[in-house]
Amino acid sequence: MKLRLCLFLAAISFALATVPAETARRPRYGGVLRVEIEAAVSSLEPTTGVKDLEVSGAKRQFDALIYRRRNSDGTFSSVAGSGLFQIAEWEPGKHVTLTANENAPGGRPFVDSIQIQMGRAARDMLLDLELGKTDLTEIPVEQARRAVDRGVRVSVSQPDELLALVFPAGRTTTEDARVREALAAAIDRASIVNFILQKNGEAAGGLLPQWSSGTAFLFSTAADVVRAKELWAQLPKSAKLVLGYDLGDPLEQSVAERIVVNAREAGISVTAQATPGAEAATAMAASGDIDARLMRFRMPSPVPRVALMNFLAALSPVTKIDASLLPDPASPQDIYDRERAIVSSYRVVPLVWLPQVYGLSARVRNWIAPGPGETWPLADVWLDGPAEAASEKEKR
Amino acid sequence: MTFRSKLFWVFTLALLLSVGLIAAGVMVVTQRAFEDLNQQHSDALVAQFQREFERRGQDIVHRVQGIADAEPTVRMAIDLSRPKSDVSIYVNDARGVSHAHQLDILDFAANDGSIISSAEWPARFGYKLSWVTQPEDWAARGSFLTKVETPEGPTLALMSVATVRVGDNNLYVAGGQRLGKEFLASLVLPTGMRALLYLNLDPAYQPANLLDSNGPANDAERFAPILEKEQQQPGQQTAKINWTSDPASAEIFHALPLLGRQKELLGVLLVGNSQREIAIVENRIIWLALAVVGIGLLIGLLLSWWGAARVTRPVRNLAEGAREVAAGNWNAHVDVRGGGEIGQLGRAFNQMTQQMSEQRERLVQSERVAAWREVARRLAHELKNPLFPLQTTVENLQRAKEQRPEQFEEVFRESTGILLSEIENLKTITDRFSDFSKMPQPELAAVNMNEVVRSAVKLFEAQFGAVGRPPITPELHLQEDLPAIQADSALLHRALENLILNAMDAMPAGGVLMLRTTNNNGKVHLEISDTGTGLTPEECDRLFTPYYTTKQHGTGLGLAIVQSVVSDHGGRISVESETGVGTSFHIELPSQPARRAQTIPSIFEKEKGKEG
Repeated sequence: MKLRLCLFLAAISFALATVPAETARRPRYGGVLRVEIEAAVSSLEPTTGVKDLEVSGAKRQFDALIYRRRNSDGTFSSVAGSGLFQIAEWEPGKHVTLTANENAPGGRPFVDSIQIQMGRAARDMLLDLELGKTDLTEIPVEQARRAVDRGVRVSVSQPDELLALVFPAGRTTTEDARVREALAAAIDRASIVNFILQKNGEAAGGLLPQWSSGTAFLFSTAADVVRAKELWAQLPKSAKLVLGYDLGDPLEQSVAERIVVNAREAGISVTAQATPGAEAATAMAASGDIDARLMRFRMPSPVPRVALMNFLAALSPVTKIDASLLPDPASPQDIYDRERAIVSSYRVVPLVWLPQVYGLSARVRNWIAPGPGETWPLADVWLDGPAEAASEKEKR
Repeated sequence: MTFRSKLFWVFTLALLLSVGLIAAGVMVVTQRAFEDLNQQHSDALVAQFQREFERRGQDIVHRVQGIADAEPTVRMAIDLSRPKSDVSIYVNDARGVSHAHQLDILDFAANDGSIISSAEWPARFGYKLSWVTQPEDWAARGSFLTKVETPEGPTLALMSVATVRVGDNNLYVAGGQRLGKEFLASLVLPTGMRALLYLNLDPAYQPANLLDSNGPANDAERFAPILEKEQQQPGQQTAKINWTSDPASAEIFHALPLLGRQKELLGVLLVGNSQREIAIVENRIIWLALAVVGIGLLIGLLLSWWGAARVTRPVRNLAEGAREVAAGNWNAHVDVRGGGEIGQLGRAFNQMTQQMSEQRERLVQSERVAAWREVARRLAHELKNPLFPLQTTVENLQRAKEQRPEQFEEVFRESTGILLSEIENLKTITDRFSDFSKMPQPELAAVNMNEVVRSAVKLFEAQFGAVGRPPITPELHLQEDLPAIQADSALLHRALENLILNAMDAMPAGGVLMLRTTNNNGKVHLEISDTGTGLTPEECDRLFTPYYTTKQHGTGLGLAIVQSVVSDHGGRISVESETGVGTSFHIELPSQPARRAQTIPSIFEKEKGKEG
């Protein structure tokens, strides 16, 4: 209960910090909210499963807008159009236009419609945002700082996505825990956060973020090159380790290359290899020659037990780690013990926590970055009129 | 081998030697010319490489300096000079700047050398680029070759470093371009040449580090010797690689070491020069030379043959003349042309034969006089013997008529008997002279010498064993397969009779008469030996002189006749004798008589003809 209260207070404080003072103005109905996303959703059917994490996340946002009922597992169902918005135009994988449902339960959304362009490149989205061609976009976390420097209005969520190094079970090269520990000890997480993430994120030592579990500080995130060298020296000469990363993810590529450099400084021979992006377990299984892989895990819930069990369920098929259920409710000690056990096995090496970064146009009001398991609050978003927007832009 | 043949071969050998030497000389000179050409091509390419290297170096220096002077870089330097400055914002700057300035390598490094941003290896931020902080005047250094770390491993790059100084802090801008296949592809190479680059990134030779304009070079293992040598002792070297057994496949490689700032060997440029074109041209030259040599030799041989014939013609004439002289023609004369040694020799020969002819004339003249004197002496001697009794008989008749007429009849009968007897003697003497002077010319026919010998011996068989004188035993050793010779059997028979009579006269106490015939290389050899009293050397010398005799009542014409017969048959006769042991006559007769040599009897005949 205390934890939930803490989380509530944290969310409130974050919202207050991010929402401009002008939000005190009266909401305005009308207007078209233009949204651009990178994922290309090809189906709006609620039962259609999507393996790609990014597309899956985008589809979940669509589902939340057009379906009324939310299931216990976080998915939405019932009839399309029963939700806040109705589908006006739909071109699979390219764009969708949603219009406000006048009869939406809980009242009509503020905006008349939402135009969502799909399959947009991050660079194009940022340009469109700067040129006023869109109102809401996703911004890669590593570009957030540069976007801010360029005067883009940015919304950053709590760090709720874990980027971790996962060692699949059954690889002879990494079966010795000292190999995994040596590589884990060589990684300089701070430089990844500071340079690659441009300080938008947190070094991760555990499987849950500090704001969620409150025990993350107990896990070390510092690099220990001396230890890494010692461990590596104890091992018989092994072949070069292959570190896989998602072919279409520049952030993963940068982190992978940095790990290669860190490992090299510790005398560990590692090469980075791009692999097709797909669901983690599938990608890992398909990449037979990959000794370790960078993987992202999005927190499905701010609740530590739920988030941890979700992570374990995703990791278990690949790493064979203990995915047995924690008691419900689980004590912080139970959660910490399980986290510690998994981290100490070095099958999963947490690297950094990543926030979700959004770019907003000046006319977007009442936007609150969604937390773990939450969807975009587009029903609550309203848009300034042209004059107000121009004034706001000038101020910026 | 004739003199002409010898001379021909000498000419030919001299010609071959000359042509061979000239051909070899031409080949050597040609080969050297090609080698020089090769060297010039290689030097040109090396110079081009050095110019390109220098040009690129200058270009890189300008670009790096341009980056260092740019406003963002200066701002970065100012930012870095602040305490607790946040350099993370610049982590991706190098990549964009390097693209803009077309540099493969670009690093921004802080005052302590830690990398702020790296284009070639973005993930390497934070690590030290230690060499840029070494004390060095980078502005004066210009461009240099160095080893650069990249995610793919170390590589070579042509680099330049510029510094941006703000306060006490430096911002190092290190930029450059990779030295690899792209650089090789940019070199303009003449046909038949190629350039390879070895990146000396490992202590031992690594074939994978050898690049050509398309990437890793083929058959890189073949370059191991030259590159290992270069690794041990950097310097310009040359090596030849025969790719196949065909000489045209060979390539000559000139190695140019590429040194770094500390004079360490970082790379080797190999300039390859294909020998294909040269081999083709050399081949053509060889064939052309062979054709020229062949034609030259043919012409030379013909000229040698003609020259040898021309040079040896006087010598052959001289030899012919000498042969004629040897055959008895002392009037031989050679045709002498020109004034060289051969001409002098010819003239000397002609002079010699002329002198010999004159001397022979004089000798013949003197011999003729001597012969006439001998004849006169012999005649006087022969005639004196019967004349003296004639004179005394006639004087007795005169005295008897004047002083004792009563005894005149008796004296007359006795005197006429003596006179008739002495006149008979005179007649006999004149008959012998007449016979000697009438020696006939041989009438040649095939004659078996053995039959002539048997016939002659048979004639004397009765006398050998005559009663009242010691017996003489004839021994015949006749070779049965004796070839027939062209001869006059009657004359030979007569000569044999004289020899047998002489032998019998030489053996008053009896003895052995041996006659032997043998075949001596187609010539018939006849030996007649006795076991008589023998002759002194002086007697042997004069034995064949007409009218010379050692006997009491001999005319001295027997052996002269024998010699005349042998001579008329083109043969030779000799004698060897030892006093008290015996005498042997050796006669050698050819199968075919040669030209009839002049003999003493013929001299008489000539003289007779003159007188007649």
